[in-house]
Amino acid sequence: MTLAHAHSEPRKPTRVVVLGAGGFLGRRLVEACRRADVPAVGLSSRDVDLADAAAAGALAERLHPHDVVVFLAALTPDKGRDSGTLMRNLAMARAVCEATRRVQIAQLIYASSDAVYSFATTLISEDTPAAATDLYGAMHRTRELMLASEAKAPLAILRLTAIYGAGDTHNSYGPNRFLRQALGEGRVALFGDGEERRDHLYVTDAVALIVEVVMRGSTGLLNLATGQSFTFRAAADMIATSSGRTVVVTSSARQNPVSHRHFDITNLVRAFPDMRFKSLAEGLAATFADMKAEARG
Amino acid sequence: MKAPLVGVAGMTHLGLVSGSALAGHGFEVVCFDRDQALVARLERRDWPVLEPGLDSLICANGARQRFTGTAKELASCDIVYVAPDVPTDDQGRTELSGLTALIRDVAAAMNSEAVLVVLSQVPPGFTRGLGLWPSERLFYQVETLVFGQAVERAMKPERIILGCADPGAPVEPRYRALLTAFDCPIMPMRYESAELAKISINCCLVASLTISNTLAELCERIGADWAEIAPALRLDRRIGSYAYLSPGLGISGGNLERDLGTVLSLSKTHGTESGLITAVVRNSRYRRHWALRQLHARVLSRVADPLIAILGVTYKENTRSIKNSPAVALIHQLIDFRIRVFDPAVRPSPQWHPGMTVADDALACCDGADAMVILTAWPQFRSLRPSELRGRMHGRVVIDPGSVLDRAAATGAGLEHVVLGAPSPAQPQQ
Repeated sequence: MTLAHAHSEPRKPTRVVVLGAGGFLGRRLVEACRRADVPAVGLSSRDVDLADAAAAGALAERLHPHDVVVFLAALTPDKGRDSGTLMRNLAMARAVCEATRRVQIAQLIYASSDAVYSFATTLISEDTPAAATDLYGAMHRTRELMLASEAKAPLAILRLTAIYGAGDTHNSYGPNRFLRQALGEGRVALFGDGEERRDHLYVTDAVALIVEVVMRGSTGLLNLATGQSFTFRAAADMIATSSGRTVVVTSSARQNPVSHRHFDITNLVRAFPDMRFKSLAEGLAATFADMKAEARG
Repeated sequence: MKAPLVGVAGMTHLGLVSGSALAGHGFEVVCFDRDQALVARLERRDWPVLEPGLDSLICANGARQRFTGTAKELASCDIVYVAPDVPTDDQGRTELSGLTALIRDVAAAMNSEAVLVVLSQVPPGFTRGLGLWPSERLFYQVETLVFGQAVERAMKPERIILGCADPGAPVEPRYRALLTAFDCPIMPMRYESAELAKISINCCLVASLTISNTLAELCERIGADWAEIAPALRLDRRIGSYAYLSPGLGISGGNLERDLGTVLSLSKTHGTESGLITAVVRNSRYRRHWALRQLHARVLSRVADPLIAILGVTYKENTRSIKNSPAVALIHQLIDFRIRVFDPAVRPSPQWHPGMTVADDALACCDGADAMVILTAWPQFRSLRPSELRGRMHGRVVIDPGSVLDRAAATGAGLEHVVLGAPSPAQPQQ
């Protein structure tokens, strides 16, 4: 399954509701929709706690018929990697499924993760079988299956690779952490020599793609990645170079075998042939600029 | 012994070429098809397929080769080949009902002492399962059709693979006399072996292609050049000078896809391991969109409202076949963009792309284009001068998977010449 567009030309929906709008991606998505003159409502856990037993009703009350719902909300691994976190995440998906049965929405977009894939396959496409190796990946895959079988709405599943950009609330290993380390400590600490290759998606590009999926009424499955993978060492060196200060990149004894991940983005190119991604260097420079601006004021 | 009179039923690509080759070897041949309009066309010497050497061969055959729409004319034949092209769908599945019906009609028209030969490619088990002709005079002969080289291969086969009910029994004398005229090894084997032999040949070819594609892509990333490596492999006797080592844009044309599908289907039915075939299919799908990926990275994501020129739409040169053509697939993908197309043998269909314009020649196709994609290695494209192309194009990106243009000249002319298996030219930074 790949992505199919309901609309051959972009078409503004009546309203977009973003679940998880308090997060790094959600805030920017609400802003982007509004900039595109699309009415957008952001709901965070303060507005509706999707893990709560009464969440389905509370969410349904806030939905209008023909809304486009973008489901970003999730407890990420930094909030917990245990089965309790897993079950709370699944409860959120259950609430969303139930709400879509009460209110007939136009489209449901689920922001899944490339964590559904195993590192045994190094070139990932939408044809790659999902084979999660941890509870976080299993959570996303389970949510996908729940939404596909129980939600009553045209569904787009977007599997996002690691996103970076200013305002990221997580501190997972990769550009976001490197940026903080560079600015705060003047050093970037790599695992091993940072040999692993990964695809890093700039948050603005991720948001632009989600907006495209909204505007085209797309359904199906798509991986969101740039198709270009870089070593963590290369990312760290780019950060050091563009930081404008002395940054030391340090290695450490390797604890785990080197693994790589690349994406075949043919289906993304077919779906959005004029999509232009920021290069990693451009994205890191833009992130630096944003972080410095935030620090100033 | 008097030379046998030969009938060939089914005047599409395989039947027409095979009948012509039989006549070319001196036999009198009755070429039959139920389609009266097709027969009338053949009698006007308006060949339905493009095949180098076909016209001159049929002209040289003269009265030895005649066309008819009357099945009764097969009654006088000693040997009758049934040879229509067997259609496949986009998934490579074979539709055999037309072949079976034709065999039944032909058998009804034949004299009871004649030899019936199934030449169309069929899956294992088909011939033995026919049950409508005495098995000692029923054969399955493996066809060797290669689009664009069909006449040469039909006239001079490397060997004849012959499916028989009993490979230990002598081949029927009239049929043996006919086969001997081709002056090549004759390899009798049981029906099922012959049916699988053809599929096996194609599986070996696609395996070589897939290996070439896999390694050629690596070349593009690490600065190696497959064009330098492949000749070294050809000199290895275990690989051979005719090995399929040219990387491509996936498998197309329909026949190889059909055979892969047959193996996968048989493997599922009989519970055998077929991971290699699955990998071949996956690699083919991946390589199919190589040109689109290159275009996206170099043009579509960088240039506003680009004009893309596409040279060649047939799945390979010297044929009119567009079955699973990478060019047609690319045209469908460029629906949001302006494209201009030229092919020397096929007029592109407006249904492929509503905004497509069609050029009358290759140079006109390139006028003002931001990028050019050469998807069929037609011989006339090789004479295009890169310096002239550079002057006529607006941009300088030339996606040329088969390296139809001279690489040194293209690079020297300032073109960003992108070739399968060659180090990838750097993309200019914006």
